[in-house]
Amino acid sequence: MKQQNSSALLALTSAALALPGMSGKADAAAPASEPVLSYHASHYREADIERKDHLGGSRERYEIDTHQLGLAAPLSRATDIKLDLMVESMCGASPWYVQPGAGGKPVQAMSGASIKEERYDIQGRLNQFVSSDTVLSYMAGYSDEDDYEAVNIGFEFEHTIPARQLTLSAGIGYSDDELEPTQGTTPVSVLKAEKDNLTLFAGLGLVVDARTAVQTSLSVSDQQGFLSDPYKLVYIASQNNPLYADSRPDDRRQWVWLTRFRHFVPAANAAFHADYRYFDDDWDIESHTLELGWYQNIGPTWRIDTSLRWYSQTAAFFYAPYFLSQRADGYASSDYRLSPYGALGLRVKAVKKLGPWQLSAEFETYSAKAGYSLDDVDVENPGLVEFNTFTLGFDRVF
Amino acid sequence: MGGPCELKLYGADSQSLQRAANAAMTEVKRLETKYSRYREDSLVSRINQQAGHAAVSVDAETAALLNYADTAFTQSEGLFDITSGVLRRVWDFKSGQLPNESAVADCRRLIGWQRVLWDGERCGLPDAGMEIDFGGFGKEYAADRAAAVCREQGIAYGLVELGGDIHVIGPHPDGSPWQIGLRHPRRPEEPIDRVSVSQGGLASSGDYERFMIVEGVRYCHLLNPKTGWPVTESPAQVSVLAPLCLVAGTGATVAMLKAQSSRQWLESLELPYVSIASDGRVTRAL
Repeated sequence: MKQQNSSALLALTSAALALPGMSGKADAAAPASEPVLSYHASHYREADIERKDHLGGSRERYEIDTHQLGLAAPLSRATDIKLDLMVESMCGASPWYVQPGAGGKPVQAMSGASIKEERYDIQGRLNQFVSSDTVLSYMAGYSDEDDYEAVNIGFEFEHTIPARQLTLSAGIGYSDDELEPTQGTTPVSVLKAEKDNLTLFAGLGLVVDARTAVQTSLSVSDQQGFLSDPYKLVYIASQNNPLYADSRPDDRRQWVWLTRFRHFVPAANAAFHADYRYFDDDWDIESHTLELGWYQNIGPTWRIDTSLRWYSQTAAFFYAPYFLSQRADGYASSDYRLSPYGALGLRVKAVKKLGPWQLSAEFETYSAKAGYSLDDVDVENPGLVEFNTFTLGFDRVF
Repeated sequence: MGGPCELKLYGADSQSLQRAANAAMTEVKRLETKYSRYREDSLVSRINQQAGHAAVSVDAETAALLNYADTAFTQSEGLFDITSGVLRRVWDFKSGQLPNESAVADCRRLIGWQRVLWDGERCGLPDAGMEIDFGGFGKEYAADRAAAVCREQGIAYGLVELGGDIHVIGPHPDGSPWQIGLRHPRRPEEPIDRVSVSQGGLASSGDYERFMIVEGVRYCHLLNPKTGWPVTESPAQVSVLAPLCLVAGTGATVAMLKAQSSRQWLESLELPYVSIASDGRVTRAL
């Protein structure tokens, strides 16, 4: 196969692929032409905490069942709407605090098994196609669970310059969360708290040639309010009563740089995906995520997606598995999510098209370990998670 | 659709094959109804009837086709022009007579895609008598659509042919490619060459479809929209392979209209092609 550098061919092919139904991806901005209903059910299960790392409480960690219902439909010639409803029910125990065990090795105290909790989330998005090149999107959402209530709103702008095969986008999002931690199997550190989050992003998409596309975006988020975990404690050895509430700064700025690369390989009838994400915040957490995927078409109706994800992060400045003495600034957390670690994830998804139906089954397995980290980690947090997720779903076009 | 139409499909059972074939034929008929210039109720006819009066709003599919025509116009430097069909009024290849120069010049004034109002939603022809037609790419698009419909019906192996424009859905079930014969441009019943295609579009354009010979000079139906006269010194036939039949067809048509610079155009496209000169010499770049 020859190298494809022809600008005439690229222009004609892009114009042809913009025709409805000519390619899987929508090259020209256009509202959904037909209603699509989708449903996905998934079961997420974290592995039990290992006996050697376990101090007390239940060893069974979270199990979450999720049902997602989505509807995308045209509203008029220039607008479409997307609605997503999600119901999650979870049960199991979560890491409570870490304390030194034999030889100073940290061991995890778990909460008692919680009763079943439910979470409801609804998100709506209205896309307004101002022209064939420009889309304005308005988002709003509401999320509710026993101890948590959140509202979010957002706005996005996307503009395509067809002659340059370039898409520019920018957006803003805001959420306001209220926590009312429930006293249950573990005591809580506050009875009522609030936090809010403001995110700004800008992105650039480029169709390099008929088979290759890249996307890159930069976003910054400012979180303010109660950012501690009201259910978690820290262990401070020098104190008479060594258990204290998890305490974090009340603001956090996060930067995310995301780059996606897509290349279709005609000889294999498959697409190669490579995504890289860089994260940095003012809590000293820096992380890298690299995901490589191979999306293999098999005949016209089957597709198998396989992707491998690697993740590595550094610790927050106020993190330790446990503390020998109180920090001068008063902050302290032993949350495994703020610890230094790495993770590997493998995802396999099979998709089958059947007339107006698209059926999918997906399996994901994930394991976090200090050993997967980019940097050497002295002490691994005993609460690091391993999980499997199994998802079944369908999409139906009307 | 002018010319023979053929579906060659492999499938699990006759029922699913019949369903796919029906869906493909329905799709082709839909496009014919929508875009034929012979039908007064077609969208194209409505735009043409409003020439010199008003712009007509079009749907998303038509908008994408007009955008495609616009791209082809730009890329071919004005040789691919969907307003050039009016030249049929002065060129009658059955008559064996050349039109007079002034009639051709008058007709040329009604040609020019660059003068058409096209804002992505509405299409308007500025002068009464102007016309657009999708004859230059409609059949190729229909072949792509028919193939897409067959794929949606689960067909993985087969091909669609609409009057010489081909979209190969997939190879034979054993993986071997289709062998497609190219006609000899001067002796249409004889194959001159054969190409192997496993997937994608194959379209041909030639000077043999309609022509007349006047005083020893061959005048073919391929008219240069800028001069209003048939192209001369072009290859006798060009066939192009591309992922979509639509793109293959534009590649072949423009190659013919480019006349002596046909070769440069084909090389610049970087698509596989077969070009046959009027003396029968075959250039293969596959």
